[in-house]
Amino acid sequence: MKSFTRELIRLVGRDAVLWRPEDLMLYEYDGLSSLRQPDAVVLPTTTDHVVGIVKFAAREKVPVVARGAGTGLSGGAVTPEGGILIGFSRMKKILEIDLENQRARIQPGVVNLDLSLAVSDQGYFYAPDPSSQKACTIGGNVAENSGGPHTLAYGVTTNHVLGLEVVLPGGEVIHTGAAHWGRPGYDLTGLIVGSEGTLGIVTEITVRLMRKPEAVKTLLAVYDRVLDATRTVAAITARGITPAALEMMDGFTLRAVEDATHAGYPKDSAAVLLIEVEGLLENVEEESDQIEAVCREDHARDVRRAKSNEERELLWRGRKNAFGAIGRISPSYYVQDGVIPRTRLPEMLEFIAGVAEKYKLQIGNIFHAGDGNLHPLLMFDARDEAQHQRVLKAAREIMAKCAEMGGSITGEHGVGIEKNELMPLIFSPDDLDAMRKVKSVFNPAGEFNPAKLLPSGKMCGELRVQVSAGA
Amino acid sequence: MITALDRAQTELANIVGAARVVSDEGTRASLSVDGKTPGLAVYPPSAQQTAEVLRYASHERLAVIPCRNATKLSIGNPPRDYDIALCMKEMNRVWHYEPEDLTISAEPGMKFGDFQHFVGRHGLWLPLNPPGGASASLGGIVATNASGSYRCFYGTPRDMALGVKVATTEGKVVKAGGRVVKNVAGYDLTKLMIGSFGTLGVIVEMSFKLFPRPTERATFVLTAGTLEKAREIRRALQLSPIRPLRAALLDASYMEFLKESEHLKECGGGCEIWIEVGGSERVVGRCSSELKQIALRANETFREQERNSTMAGVWSRIDDSYSGVRANTDDWLLRVSMAVSAVEEYMIRANRDQLRPEHFWRCWAEPLGGIVHLWLHPHPEPAGFEEVIHNLRRLGEELGGSLVVEIAPFAGKAKVDAWGTIGDDFEVMRKLKDAFDPNHILSPGRFVGGL
Repeated sequence: MKSFTRELIRLVGRDAVLWRPEDLMLYEYDGLSSLRQPDAVVLPTTTDHVVGIVKFAAREKVPVVARGAGTGLSGGAVTPEGGILIGFSRMKKILEIDLENQRARIQPGVVNLDLSLAVSDQGYFYAPDPSSQKACTIGGNVAENSGGPHTLAYGVTTNHVLGLEVVLPGGEVIHTGAAHWGRPGYDLTGLIVGSEGTLGIVTEITVRLMRKPEAVKTLLAVYDRVLDATRTVAAITARGITPAALEMMDGFTLRAVEDATHAGYPKDSAAVLLIEVEGLLENVEEESDQIEAVCREDHARDVRRAKSNEERELLWRGRKNAFGAIGRISPSYYVQDGVIPRTRLPEMLEFIAGVAEKYKLQIGNIFHAGDGNLHPLLMFDARDEAQHQRVLKAAREIMAKCAEMGGSITGEHGVGIEKNELMPLIFSPDDLDAMRKVKSVFNPAGEFNPAKLLPSGKMCGELRVQVSAGA
Repeated sequence: MITALDRAQTELANIVGAARVVSDEGTRASLSVDGKTPGLAVYPPSAQQTAEVLRYASHERLAVIPCRNATKLSIGNPPRDYDIALCMKEMNRVWHYEPEDLTISAEPGMKFGDFQHFVGRHGLWLPLNPPGGASASLGGIVATNASGSYRCFYGTPRDMALGVKVATTEGKVVKAGGRVVKNVAGYDLTKLMIGSFGTLGVIVEMSFKLFPRPTERATFVLTAGTLEKAREIRRALQLSPIRPLRAALLDASYMEFLKESEHLKECGGGCEIWIEVGGSERVVGRCSSELKQIALRANETFREQERNSTMAGVWSRIDDSYSGVRANTDDWLLRVSMAVSAVEEYMIRANRDQLRPEHFWRCWAEPLGGIVHLWLHPHPEPAGFEEVIHNLRRLGEELGGSLVVEIAPFAGKAKVDAWGTIGDDFEVMRKLKDAFDPNHILSPGRFVGGL
């Protein structure tokens, strides 16, 4: 045992420090990739622990990386330069639930779905719902500014975080935002949400809770042509309807999902839209009818409405387990996360088909179509290095197209170590300098989550993914 | 003798053209802030020229206050210095507008009324009702994160802005965010700029997501004899399935004012809660019956407000909290933000412990947004009146909230900080200010903690 480890044990206790290589192995990867083991993993239970660890790391000049459940898809929770990994799995207390003010104060290790479950009986929920919500933590969601299918109507994590407790690299603890709307000052909460652990380490979060709607209706629109499905997306928005969720899966993806979950997607179709409306009963009925009409105008072959809660949950289970379903049919896959103006979905879909052909790849498409957020799934076999390289080139081309269409290279998965070298696709050197200024204010020595988010300047516009088999 | 300002006039004319650098007394006086008059008014026509003006000003350490229609310049502490009024009026173009995508990018000088009209052709709107109303500018709205009573349903500019371009004191035009509705690439500098009151840079373009305008809207009024009763109704409203677009709690003092100013005849004397709902005809009908039930259970009366000039007038009074309040006179306008649960408590205690008839005060609140507005116009102002403001602030802070002085007399501003107590995150704010405006030329001294 190194003296390093002994000092950490002194700070947080023997059972809260992992240092044996076989234990560290579990922390060397996240949803994206596997790079290098941390030198130690520490599992604090209090903010004071985190302060102690951060101060120690600053003295030792070693990197500090915070980690929730490790479900992230851009490498935000791995330690490319080694150092101390702070795992938040033991800081998972819901500290306060205040229903009258529709808010909760929680520790960052609280699992996303657990918060909704804790308030569900009283008629409330926490809105951001990433597909990994059964496992991912709200601390991780804050770091990545995570989204999910229902963010179309409700907004992403940043729209639901009121305040934060944050440990800065020098060990100072600050409290940003407030439990109410109008605290004056710079919006540090808004700045820290989505900063991927590079500005500070969040140790407490005040979130907004939403009232459950009176009625929810889920529709499944089935298409024989994928382009018709994409046209429907813009048509729904253009009619002034904002569904709670508007998801699209192409034929390839829905077949894989259907085989895995038997959710009820017709396997002979070319695409499906999963559309959810909610609100007052009257509203839900009217909007369902309007949406059905729009789908049929755009040549939907069938529009089904979930008749029971079970049927509704099954349809959603299919969608939320889609990545897993793909894992059953391909040894490896690479999930992309681009955003384009939603009116350009038809064009983008054709472009992706062209890229698949050019690089001889199978690409499945699963989109948060309502907000133009694409998740093309590029399938490959990691043992085939040539194919792996083709995947990276294809993904880069798709990202460049998103940028060219006035979109973004990430809508909800974050930049991390995956896309930091792609940032110049959408930001000028001056834009990036402004971001570096912010980083230098919070994290001047760069000990917090090094090598993430901003381009290193050493590589030129490349995706950096070493996707492991079965990722 | 050539003064620094003479030199500046020549140099700035080289950047924006001589006609866009104005030094006549009338113009300068119209742009004065808290009694300080700028030496020059500059009207940049483009983002890059705005940035060059800022670079020059930063180099020469000339203090700049950005503005457009000066609807919100009353907010903030008196400036330490004020050399140049940077007036964004010429920058009022729309760059991108995709109605089917519900997105738009426009310049800061565009008036809010013109903007709403522009997108209204497609049944869209930006659901804000900022102080200044139609004359407010987009830039001012974003810089101050100004919203209004719709915030309880739609949120604030923070929830609607997709990205901004900002002219910096280094002479650069920097982009943050983008034009798509979902985007997590890089630090969210858009959030940093929104509500920073022009102290970090000058917003030269902004992108918003737009919203479809509800097809029908209707206003319902519930009486609430007392503030305790208003609390009971607010709680019932929170638990009901309906989600109002906005709600306003008008206490007896405000009702008196409305009776006079808007010829409101129906009201009985106690508090009233005004609620606007939106949606299809059936949805509005359903909301109506839910609200009727709430009134019935609370033993209070319920009415649908006729769609007439009185209704429009009342809402515009409530929304445009600055209307009627006169800057630089004896009027004080305070905004107290707090948890929703504390709203009525604050009003009860302020009424009982702090406010006196000679303060000539009016009070109204956004019960679902957690905001209490107080308008006081003591005339003549009693000696030590600022103690009343301090007490009202303390009360807000005791209830976990914060009080911002939005409008105050000159003399009052010298004695009462506009923003209130700073928190343990202030040091970070100070460093951000130093990083983006190292010579502190942008609205110096006006923001939180003297930034």
